[in-house]
Amino acid sequence: METLDGTEWDLLIVGTGLPQSLLALALSRSGKKILHIDQNDYYGGPEAAFSLQEVEEWGKGLADDPSSAPFSSISITKPEQVDPDEGPSLSFSRAYSLALCPQLIYARSTLLQHLVSSKVYRQLEFLAVGSFWVYSLGADETAGSPEALTPVGGRLLRVPNGREDVFQDQVLDFKAKRALMKFLRFIADYEEQPEVWEDHRNKPFPSFLTEQFKIPASLHAPLLALTLSPAVPAQTTTDHALPRIARHLRSIGFFGAGFGSVIPKWGGMSEITQVACRASAVGGGVYVLGKGLSTTLDGSINLDHQEGETPIYKVRLKDGELITTGQIVGDPSHPRLEDPAYCRSITVVSSTLDPLFPPIAEDAPSPACAVVIFPSGTLKLDTADGEAKVPPVYISVHNSDAGECPAGQSVLYASIALKGTAGFQYLKKSVEALLLSLDVTPSPTTLLSVQYEQQSRPSMQLLASETDEPTNNSSSSSMDLAFDDSVLDQVKGLWQEIMGEDAGKFLVFEDREANMTEDDE
Amino acid sequence: MADSGASQPKPSSSVKLVLLGEAAVGKSSLVMRFVNNDFQENKEPTIGAAFLTQKCNLPTRTIKFEIWDTAGQERFASLAPMYYRNAQAALVVYDITKPSSLTKAQHWVAELQRQASPGIVIALVGNKYDLASPSGGDNAEDADAAPAAEGENPEEEDSADARRVPTKTAKAYADEESLLFFETSAKTGMNVAEVFTAIANAIPETSLKGPRGVGGQTNLNRQEDARVNLTGGRAEGPKEGCAC
Repeated sequence: METLDGTEWDLLIVGTGLPQSLLALALSRSGKKILHIDQNDYYGGPEAAFSLQEVEEWGKGLADDPSSAPFSSISITKPEQVDPDEGPSLSFSRAYSLALCPQLIYARSTLLQHLVSSKVYRQLEFLAVGSFWVYSLGADETAGSPEALTPVGGRLLRVPNGREDVFQDQVLDFKAKRALMKFLRFIADYEEQPEVWEDHRNKPFPSFLTEQFKIPASLHAPLLALTLSPAVPAQTTTDHALPRIARHLRSIGFFGAGFGSVIPKWGGMSEITQVACRASAVGGGVYVLGKGLSTTLDGSINLDHQEGETPIYKVRLKDGELITTGQIVGDPSHPRLEDPAYCRSITVVSSTLDPLFPPIAEDAPSPACAVVIFPSGTLKLDTADGEAKVPPVYISVHNSDAGECPAGQSVLYASIALKGTAGFQYLKKSVEALLLSLDVTPSPTTLLSVQYEQQSRPSMQLLASETDEPTNNSSSSSMDLAFDDSVLDQVKGLWQEIMGEDAGKFLVFEDREANMTEDDE
Repeated sequence: MADSGASQPKPSSSVKLVLLGEAAVGKSSLVMRFVNNDFQENKEPTIGAAFLTQKCNLPTRTIKFEIWDTAGQERFASLAPMYYRNAQAALVVYDITKPSSLTKAQHWVAELQRQASPGIVIALVGNKYDLASPSGGDNAEDADAAPAAEGENPEEEDSADARRVPTKTAKAYADEESLLFFETSAKTGMNVAEVFTAIANAIPETSLKGPRGVGGQTNLNRQEDARVNLTGGRAEGPKEGCAC
C-alpha cells in the first residue's frame, strides 16, 4: 500500500470543501497522483452535513479549538419538552442530515451541466425548489389576495413565477401590472439594452425600478427577493441585481414546468462534495481525513522548496508526516478582516409546513424546498431602531423529501449578512414570524435550534505555485443562498493551471461502467 | 431516459453497496468474481478505489448493484465514511485464515451500525474458503472433511488446515448482530453469487429506488415524484409564456 511520506505526489489538495472536491473530480482522470486531505474527520468542510450527534461534536470541537474554522459562536439548543412521552420530539441522530451549506442551484448553473458531463450526477438526486415567499407587514397593497397565507402579524406573499402569473394576478392594479410586465420583458434580454440601465449600474436597484419602470415601491420587495442579495436595498446595485433576477426567471421551466432551481438530496452541497471525492478516489486519489497541514504561527504553511527541473515541495502534516508534492492547493489559512461574517441558524420543527409547498405545476415534481425572504425593515427587535438598515433574512425551508429530517418535520435554514447578537436575534425573530404566519395544526414546535457565525474565506488557490502569487482574490461564496457559478470558474482556472497544455475538456468524462450507459440511456 | 420497454418487464432498482474489510482479505477479488466471473492469483493490491456495477436477477425484480470498493486505502480509513453514506448494503469481508481480520470486520460492523443508514443490509463474509479445504492448495496434509458452507461442521480445529477462524465463531457473531453470513472463495467462485443474491433479497422493497432518472412511470411514490431529471433540461431556454 502507498504510504503518505514514501510517495512523491503530483498534487496535494487540502480541505474537502466544495471547490477542492470539484477540483479533485476534475483531475480524477488525469493520471496525476493526488493526495486529498482534510483536517476534520468528516468530508465537506464548510459544506458538510451532520447528524444530530455530529452537529454536537462539531459544536464541541469548535469550542475546544476555535482558531481554525470559519465558524464561531455556535450554540445548540433543544427546547425542553414538558412531557417527554407526549408531543413531537426529535428522532434518532442519523435521521438527520443538517446542511451547513443548503444552497439552491439554478437550473442553468454550469455546475449542473458539469455534474452531468462528468457523469457523477448518477450518484446524486435533485429535488425541486418550489415557491418563493416574501414576508410582508403591510395590510395595504395586496390585502385579500388569494396568494396570501393567513395573516397573523405579517403575511407571506408568493412571488409570481413569471409574466403569466403577474398577468393573472387579481390584486395588482392595472398600472402596476403594466409596469411590472414591462420590466419582466426588459429583463428577458437586458444585456441587449445597456442604454436602459447603464447609468444605473452602480446605483441602488430600487431607484432604478422607480425611475426607469415606475414600479411602485410596494412591488420592490419581491423583485429584490429574487436577487437573493444579502445586502440592504440601498446597497444592492443594479448591475448586481439584474443578472440575478434574470438567472431566476430564465431558469424557470428548464427542468420542468414552474420551477427554476433544485437542491441536492441528503444534505445540501455536502452530497456533491462527497460524490466528487468518491469519483476522485475511484480514479486513484488517496483520501485521508483528520490530517491538516502544519502551519507556522502566522498561519502560513511550512514549505521546504527544492529547486529542480520541476519544483518539489515538502510540507509537514500536523502529526509530523512529511509530504513530498509537486503542487499544493488549499484555502489560505487565515481569514481576512475584510471578509464578511454572517449569522446562520438551523431549526428543526415538528411540522411539514405544507402551506409553503403548494404543488408547482401539473406534471412538475413535488417541491422539497421553499424560500422565504424577510425584506429589510420587516423584522423589528424590541431594542433596536433603524430597521431599514438591517439586511434581509433568507430562510430556505426543506421538507422531509430533502432527506435531511424524518417525515413530519422540516428544517429551516436561515441566514443574515450581519454578525453578533443582533444577527441571531433577527434570525430568531424571522423563524418565529414564519411559523406564526402559517395556518397549520398542530402548530409547529421547535425541536432543535443551531446557530452560528460563519466568516467568508478567501477561496481555494495554488498555495505554492511557481509565481507564488495568489491566483485570485475572491471570497468563497458558500454563504450565498444559491450556488455561484464563479466557484466553478475558479476550479476551472486552477485545473487549467495544474494540467497545462494537456488539459482537454473540463469535467467531460465517459461513464466508467459500460453497462451503466446501456441501461440508462 | 426510460428503460426501453418490453425487454425489461421486471422493475429494476439500484442498490448502493460498499465493500469493507482489512487489506488483502480478497474484497476486490470477490467483486471481480461476481462481476466478471474471473479470479487473478496474487493480485496486486488495488490501486485507488474501484466502482463497479452488476445486475442481480431476482424472480420479481432486477437489482443493479453499484459496488464501491475501498481497496488499497484501508490504512487511512477515510474512504469508508463517504462510501457507506446512503448505502443500502455493506459487504464486510474477513479472511478465514486470519483471525485479526475478523476483529477488524467486527469493528466495521459496529461502525456501520453506529453511522450508516438505518436499515442497511450487512453481510459478513469469510473469504478464502479454498485455503481451508484439503484440496485447496497450501495444505499438504489431509483434513478429514471439507466443511459445508453454512457451518454444518463446526470442528475445524485441524492444524493442517489454514483456517484459523472457525465457522461457528463467525456464524454466532453474525447471528447475534443479525447479519447475513457466508463463507466464500473468490478463487473457486463458491458462494460468491449467493452472497449478492442474499443481499438483494434482504433489501426491503420500501428502501428501493427506481432506476435513476426515470420519470413518469407507474407506481410512483412521493420520493420518485420529487426527483428532478437533470438530463431533461431543455437545450433552448424556455420561452416563458408571454400572456400579453
